Amino acid sequence: MILFPAIDLKDGVCVRLEQGDMKRATVFNRDAAAQALGFEAEGFEYLHLVDLDGAFAGRPVNAHAIERILESVPLPVQLGGGIRDMATIAAWLEKGVDRVIIGTAAVRDPELVKQAAHDWPDRIAVGLDARDGRVAVQGWAETSDLSVLEIARRFEDAGVAAIIHTDISRDGLLKGLNLDATIALADAVTIPVIASGGLASLDDIRRLLEPRAKKLAGAIAGRALYDGQLNAGEALRLIRAARAQ
Amino acid sequence: MTVAIIDYGSGNLHSAAKAFERAARESGASQPITVTSDPGVVRNADRVVLPGVGAFADCRRGLDQVPGMVAALSEAVRRRGRPFLGICVGMQLMAERGREYAVTDGLGWIAGEVCRIAPEDPGLKIPHMGWNTLDVHRPHPLLDGIPLGPQGLHAYFVHSYHLRAEDPADLLAVSDYGGPITALVGRDNYAGTQFHPEKSQKLGLALIANFLKWKP
Repeated sequence: MILFPAIDLKDGVCVRLEQGDMKRATVFNRDAAAQALGFEAEGFEYLHLVDLDGAFAGRPVNAHAIERILESVPLPVQLGGGIRDMATIAAWLEKGVDRVIIGTAAVRDPELVKQAAHDWPDRIAVGLDARDGRVAVQGWAETSDLSVLEIARRFEDAGVAAIIHTDISRDGLLKGLNLDATIALADAVTIPVIASGGLASLDDIRRLLEPRAKKLAGAIAGRALYDGQLNAGEALRLIRAARAQ
Repeated sequence: MTVAIIDYGSGNLHSAAKAFERAARESGASQPITVTSDPGVVRNADRVVLPGVGAFADCRRGLDQVPGMVAALSEAVRRRGRPFLGICVGMQLMAERGREYAVTDGLGWIAGEVCRIAPEDPGLKIPHMGWNTLDVHRPHPLLDGIPLGPQGLHAYFVHSYHLRAEDPADLLAVSDYGGPITALVGRDNYAGTQFHPEKSQKLGLALIANFLKWKP
């Protein structure tokens, strides 16, 4: 179980949104690389980066901030937001991003995802962000007709490293993770699934470590870390203790 | 006093350079870290680092395509005895040969071959990607002061092949991934890590700091 701290980039700085609404953004750190270093110092193992502007634009926008993070922190990094063609995928993977997360293209261009997963084994993750079980794309500006399970199943056996499942209605609002839906997804595919959206406190961590959540590969923590609702040290201690068993 | 990180078109050069700079700063070492594709700089460097990601054969070709680089490496490391650190495929290149796709000659500095890892547990996926602990077989200055073993610090791996060292004296540390996989090799003044020290947080920075002080 890996707990990924999230750094979401808007206008080059580190923010948290509510339900993905760019108009409800709070800036938490003007220096994203410093935020990343802070997470490293707390003992996190793997960073989750989102280029929010990129997600809306359909191409990388916060490249400079992302590169600064990649250079500064001796940790693996997964990155999503506006990554929609092979050249962009290859460029980031060659720059040292460990895994790229593809969202919109997973819905609109599944062949791209399959080809990328084939060319870059275990370096491609799929981001499925849902409103009431329907996948939303383009920075969550559009909701498709497709269900999370339908889209996830397209990628079974394609070599996708992970699916990051976000409940949009809970994202940024500390409502607790939607474990039921995430576990249902994990049960339906062999691809490792990571929970995201709403992680609020140590209780979410405890629930993630329960037997029924054993299938989950990890969870993303965002607002709770920035607001201080989740103590990183305590969370990581719980996780390490569970691993040692 | 320079540390040359070889740029031959492979490896996370920027991340590696930054990690070396940071380790140097934090440990009070003052050696400038230079990323270079100039064999002259490599030949005259005080310490040499060879990164590498991707397929063994592609990396070997890339290295051969920088005129004079392999000769500069041999001069600096084998003749002048400068400390050398290979990272990931940069470590694998020290082998006699690699068996990824085609059979390709390595530098031949460490007896053995690079072959595909084959975990006993079929549930374990290839590539071996993630954090793992190290079991130390032989003490080495690169590992000084680093808490290791099953309760120790973790290193970050991403690879499908590993160097099977023929001489047990060269096999310094392994990790368990459905059986032992080579994590660290070394002989004389040259050593290499399968894992990425520049992504391995405390363990990685400590190892890099040890490399910067290493007097073989």
